[in-house]
Amino acid sequence: MLKKGYLQISFGWIFAIVVGIVILFLAIFLASKLINIGETKVDSSTAKEIEVLLNPLETSFGEEKTTSFIMPSEARINNKCDNFGNFGTQGISVSQKTFGKYSNTNIDISFENKYIFSDEFIEGKKFYLNSKPLNLPFKIADMIFITSKKYCFLDFPEEIEKDIPLQENIIIEEGKCSEEDVKVCFSDEDGCDIYVNYAQGYVEKNKEKVYFSENLLYGAIFSKPDIYECQTKRIMQRASQLYILNYNKAYLIQEKCQSNLNEELLSFSNDLKNYEKSEDLENIVITSNIINEKNKNEECKLF
Amino acid sequence: MKKTKTRSASCFKMNNKKSQMKIQQMAFMLVAVTLFFVLVGLFVLGIGFSGLKQSSETLEKENAVLLVSELANSPEFSCGEVYKYGDSYCVDEDKVMALKNMDEYSNFWDVNSIEIRKVYPSENEIECSKENYPDCNVIKVYSRGSNQEIFKSSFISLCRKEKVLETGENYDKCEIGKLLVSYEVQK
Repeated sequence: MLKKGYLQISFGWIFAIVVGIVILFLAIFLASKLINIGETKVDSSTAKEIEVLLNPLETSFGEEKTTSFIMPSEARINNKCDNFGNFGTQGISVSQKTFGKYSNTNIDISFENKYIFSDEFIEGKKFYLNSKPLNLPFKIADMIFITSKKYCFLDFPEEIEKDIPLQENIIIEEGKCSEEDVKVCFSDEDGCDIYVNYAQGYVEKNKEKVYFSENLLYGAIFSKPDIYECQTKRIMQRASQLYILNYNKAYLIQEKCQSNLNEELLSFSNDLKNYEKSEDLENIVITSNIINEKNKNEECKLF
Repeated sequence: MKKTKTRSASCFKMNNKKSQMKIQQMAFMLVAVTLFFVLVGLFVLGIGFSGLKQSSETLEKENAVLLVSELANSPEFSCGEVYKYGDSYCVDEDKVMALKNMDEYSNFWDVNSIEIRKVYPSENEIECSKENYPDCNVIKVYSRGSNQEIFKSSFISLCRKEKVLETGENYDKCEIGKLLVSYEVQK
């Protein structure tokens, strides 16, 4: 009897404890999986909601649109861009902060007809949206700028004052700027995060230079240089298709309304297709202005 | 001595059988408990995903509603400065006819179909093609071919270039039209 030891546990108990532990671990594993699925569901439906929210930002003649939205908790919007296919793709994914950590989302909502200019990811609770058209010379697309940080515009030329987005997070009075704000300088000053050389048409950010024309200035300021280049190329891809569309239209209506622009349209569409970097923008703008002048003098305007 | 040995052996056998029975009972119980939790998990997942399906349909609907109100201002549809009276919500009919044949745009707008219908005169439905244009009243810009669809519409002015046969001069002709965007209904 003494040899049996102090702790007498029957086989039934050992079996129950082992299986109980297995069941508990299984339940914890399943519960964490369920939480992950729930997070992914919320993140992807939020991303889709943001896509839907971007629809009313389509602008009409020369206007711009501004709006904002607040997320229920701190969130991160990831901006993804690629140039594959005829129009390239805009992708967004949303990660919400739970227990001090951003969820891992690998589901992207992607679409072809929108162009978001922003950093690689935008973090915060309140997000500001602004859209401006890009004309070459007719409207090609609406550029959407998403920001959450505060930007401080310093020494900007008077001619752009009316174009600076009227948003809570964009400060144009130097006295109201704080240390944490992103400083956008239009002159050579120390301590600036972004330098704009308006006369030569380029923006310098993180020692990288990107070129702009007209409203693309804001795209260059608010986005990461890689994203800016990718989105600008996507806009040129769309412009290329729009010039083909106008060429097809000219062909369709040639019996009632003759146009002499056909060759220029096709050749410019080809130039736009071969666009690589923002350094090519200057030539693109020059050619589009020449085509615009010719179109104005046509008896039958195409655009 | 022999008798007591056989008695204790049969007693051990009885005990062994009893504990085997207990283990079997417990195993069945544990399997039942596991199955119960799995079923509860599946039930919760089912409810979650049915909500997802519903919210995806709601988002598709919202997308179509918001898109139809702004599509007329997109560069593929808008009149631009071509027509004298072309302004917001003016659709260039000639451009849309050219767009109809461009396959590149098949996935560009994330909706099931886009159509333009002339409101007046309300004659029989004649779908526009290169051959019968402009003597037609329905332009099917593109369709993904689903029958389970719901249309959302918005009124537009539909303008095109026309030519006076006698003088050869061209003029702008604008009519009232309806821009229709559809989204797919989940079965």
